[in-house]
Amino acid sequence: MGMLGNMFSSARPAEGNVRVRRSTPTEERPREADSDRKSRDGERKTTAPAAAAATKPAKAVKHPEVTGPADAVLSATVITLVAFGIVMVYSASAVFAHQRFGSGQYFLIRQSIFAVLGLCVMVVTASIDYHKLRALTYPFLLTALALLLVTAVGFGHAAGGAARWISVGPIHIQPAEIVKVAMICWLAYSLSKKTERIRSFSVGFLPHVLGAGVVMILCLKQPDFGSAVMIGLITFFMLFTAGARLGYILGAGMLALPMVYYLVAGSEYRMRRITAFLSPFQYRHSAGYQIAESLMSFGAGGTTGVGIGDSHQKLLFLPEAHTDFISAIIGEELGFLGFLAMVAAFLLLVVRGLRAAFTAVDEYGTYLAVGITLFLGTQAFTNLAVAVGLLPTKGLVLPFISYGGSSLLVNCLAVGLLLNVSRPRVGAVVSAGESSRAFGGVA
Amino acid sequence: MNAPASRRGLFMRARIVMLATLLGCGAGAVVYRAWDLQVRRADTLRGMAEEQYLRDVALAPKRGTIYDRDGAELAVSVDADSVWGNPLAIKKAGQDARAIASHLAPLLGLDVEVLAQRLSSERHFVWVKRRVTPAQGKAVRALHLPGIAISEEARRFYPNRELAAHVLGFANVDGVGIEGLELALEDKLRGPRHTIPAVLDRRGEIVFSQQLLDERNAQGDEVTLTIDKTLQYLAERELELAVRTSEARAGSLVLIEPSSGEILAMANYPTFNPNEPNRSSNTDRRNRAITDRFEPGSTIKPFTVSGALAAGAVSPTQIIDCENGAVRVAEYTIHDSHHFQLLTPAQVLAVSSNIGAAKIGLALGRAGLYRAFTRFGLGERTGVELPGETAGILRHYKRWYDMDAATIAFGQGVSVTALQLAMGLGAIANKGRLMQPQIIKRIVDGHGEVVQAATPHVRRQVIPENVARLVSDMLVAVTEPGGTAVEAAIPGYLVAGKTGTAQKADYVHGGYADNKWMSSFVGYAPAQAPRLLAAVVLDEPMIAHQGGSVAAPVFRRVMGAALRHLGVPGDNAGALAEQAAPRKGDASKSVAAAVVAQALTAAAPSEPSLAAGEVLVPSVLGQSARQAISALHQAELDVRVQGTGLVSAQEPAAASVAQRGAQVSLRLSPPSADGSLPASTAKATTPAAAAATTSEAAPTLPQPARELIAVARPGGHDG
Repeated sequence: MGMLGNMFSSARPAEGNVRVRRSTPTEERPREADSDRKSRDGERKTTAPAAAAATKPAKAVKHPEVTGPADAVLSATVITLVAFGIVMVYSASAVFAHQRFGSGQYFLIRQSIFAVLGLCVMVVTASIDYHKLRALTYPFLLTALALLLVTAVGFGHAAGGAARWISVGPIHIQPAEIVKVAMICWLAYSLSKKTERIRSFSVGFLPHVLGAGVVMILCLKQPDFGSAVMIGLITFFMLFTAGARLGYILGAGMLALPMVYYLVAGSEYRMRRITAFLSPFQYRHSAGYQIAESLMSFGAGGTTGVGIGDSHQKLLFLPEAHTDFISAIIGEELGFLGFLAMVAAFLLLVVRGLRAAFTAVDEYGTYLAVGITLFLGTQAFTNLAVAVGLLPTKGLVLPFISYGGSSLLVNCLAVGLLLNVSRPRVGAVVSAGESSRAFGGVA
Repeated sequence: MNAPASRRGLFMRARIVMLATLLGCGAGAVVYRAWDLQVRRADTLRGMAEEQYLRDVALAPKRGTIYDRDGAELAVSVDADSVWGNPLAIKKAGQDARAIASHLAPLLGLDVEVLAQRLSSERHFVWVKRRVTPAQGKAVRALHLPGIAISEEARRFYPNRELAAHVLGFANVDGVGIEGLELALEDKLRGPRHTIPAVLDRRGEIVFSQQLLDERNAQGDEVTLTIDKTLQYLAERELELAVRTSEARAGSLVLIEPSSGEILAMANYPTFNPNEPNRSSNTDRRNRAITDRFEPGSTIKPFTVSGALAAGAVSPTQIIDCENGAVRVAEYTIHDSHHFQLLTPAQVLAVSSNIGAAKIGLALGRAGLYRAFTRFGLGERTGVELPGETAGILRHYKRWYDMDAATIAFGQGVSVTALQLAMGLGAIANKGRLMQPQIIKRIVDGHGEVVQAATPHVRRQVIPENVARLVSDMLVAVTEPGGTAVEAAIPGYLVAGKTGTAQKADYVHGGYADNKWMSSFVGYAPAQAPRLLAAVVLDEPMIAHQGGSVAAPVFRRVMGAALRHLGVPGDNAGALAEQAAPRKGDASKSVAAAVVAQALTAAAPSEPSLAAGEVLVPSVLGQSARQAISALHQAELDVRVQGTGLVSAQEPAAASVAQRGAQVSLRLSPPSADGSLPASTAKATTPAAAAATTSEAAPTLPQPARELIAVARPGGHDG
């Protein structure tokens, strides 16, 4: 942890030395992209994206100065979770891996490699000022959407009844995981541009809901109901944070309900999941098998657990023991106390993430931090809620802990951004000024 | 948001806090639920989980081996490949069951259609063929057919095929005893079917057990029989030969050691191969020696005579009028095959007079005869540890018809098994003690602990010892010239026995069939110190039917070879007289001597004796005990034998002069591996050398150096 903190802090002076610039709102030239809005709202100024800066090298850089290291508590929490995840993936998967691949370390090795790669991604994204990364919003989103489209139209690699993966050699990419973070980046980018106009239906609400809707439909096409729900939730969370009218959000939610019902009722396996969720032990030998096994795992763990490596449920009884239902194995091996510690770690992550949102120098940073934090938190607690039988099975992994390269890498990228936002900054001229003015103004 | 004072910033923070609170509520719900599952309902859920992974796994113990008395394997369990298939896996893999069947069927000798149908069923498991040969198993493995697998199963194997098949019985394909000792000792052979708690994975495979597996606990008991493989083989071979040559329907032979009741051989013909029990019929698999009862006829007469002598109803010297071959009892007439006038009880046995036996039976009375027979074990099971034993039929005397007391006395109207007959006569051979038959010598569990060991068990003292000796002496006359079973005589040994030739009951027409006979002989040797007793029963021999001519030769061949195999030293009639002589003064024993003398004079004319005085001691070095004794008897010398095997030393040495009737000591040693005589042979010419030989030869004896001493004198009936 300390090492990483040092790394971040050591990065600061170098960057600071090069990048110390102060710019005023008046110095900034409005971007072409914002020209229409600027004409209506002359006082609004936006930070030029890095891409724009690149095309206009002469233009002064207006990023706030980084004055401190990233949140060490946050990075420590995440690294702890990832390391814990490696241990638990090994414990939960060894039997299955041995049976399926002839090597008990199959998932351990892969997850370890992904973890190292993930930490690298995290360090890189934390090091480069997120304002500069802002220019990559659309390329990132479009790439993610393209990948998602590829899986949605049927080039995906089928596994577990759904085509959610794209095979690139030995690597399976899961676009749905990537698109979640891409959506957060895009929403943060877009919402921070809209500022007060977020309250309007056509400018503030509709584009984002439509954008999210397209992505959700692509997700559902795979089908990946869990990711679709997650994207919907994140969109609403971020719209709500940005101050979109509650009426619109609730209205959209109301509109979505029949669609959800149609989707669930129209899909046999989702209906089965619902019935299994409602009475797992009644359908213990059919649809409720997985959830019943999960509940038994938790119960078998008791207060203090059976000890790491001693789970019996992982003896092929609990399906997806190393992915979606890894928390059941954690509950069994480490007991209620271990489970509680893990929940606490996730809560700590949420708290530190929101702290970063509060201390962010501009709205973009705030939205980014809120989006990422709530995404990770929601995904984590949804997964846990599924495992303990509070929610129907969705196919969502537990961030940082479940086995899965795409998810781990993307989550590390997201945390990298979060850590980036958490770094203290001063003289955030453009953003801060814009924000102050925005906050001060009345829409 | 560095301007917290701004309203927008405040509202945004408030909204973020609201969302965070929502998330916190979610976390709270998850934690509460986890508490509910892991603390409150932990026991219930843990129980459910344990139910699916904790199993008491039944260990499949290795079925115990059955050995003969010398440790030769008679029934063993070996691992064999069993081929099975998973039809659903075949279907899932998109494989054609028919194609797989066409590969497998010719290899395993199965029908393609049947196999294809079986492999197309909606199951996860079907046997293709169980217990295939190692070659077939290898071939199937080499094919690597999808959905076809091989697992190892224990297979019961009888390495000697038909040998002792009826005694051993057989175990089925699942290793469960179906007949014979395999059935009777099922619990012990199978081994403790205890279970151990083990953790299973979802496929039901044992991941680990919480208890160390002790191989010895998964081991059935090892059973050692009293059966002697060599004698059993001998008995079966001779019995089969006799059944075939006499064109009999079936036959049984029981060879026992009368002093202990141990069964050394129990043969039946027809027989079967227990490795392929399904290829034989039920009748072939019957252990006739204990399951089939028959009217014994004359072989029962020793019991009648014993009973009458013991009860004092007849005296040994009493003269019985045999009415010249026909006598009326009630409204029936009893015939003798030969016509006799006046006979002593000994002669009644020797010539097997029905009339004489009937009169002795009548003298004994109904109750006395019934009691005598029951005391000999008739009408009750012998208690041998073999399944399916029948008790025979001996009706209570109150339900006898008028004639029964007469006919039952000579073996009509009563039925017995071969084993009963053998055990009954064994009582006469064994000083009047009826022994419990033993088939199991020892049972040892997996830890090497002896759980059961045969100890001779006397069921009862049937008749006083002196009566037994008396009747035994009478029975010797049967096998001597003039008796009915000269065919049973074995050179070098005194044989006591009794023939039986019984008409079979005709169940269709009533009465007795004219042309169906049960021919039997039961006897033992050496008569003075009985080592072996055999009962031979032949069912419906066609070529001849007299027990003396059909069954007695079987007895002679089996008993002679068995005595030689066991190295039993012979005895002779002279010894008999000598032993009887000092007993004068004792009333019954003097009677015995007189009877024996009478029997002997009646049986055999005395041979011309050699010249009195000195005789030349012949060389008997390298000869078997029997040959040596025979040669020395010819030279009218006494013999003292020590050890087993071939003569390795003699004292006095060959060609020396000895007094007639002097004792010659023989030292016997087992032949060395290359068949040559023991090295000491040549040296053993002086007393000192003989003594030296004795001292150095003794440790090399493989068996406990038991002293076999036979006192023999020249007699009239030597080989």
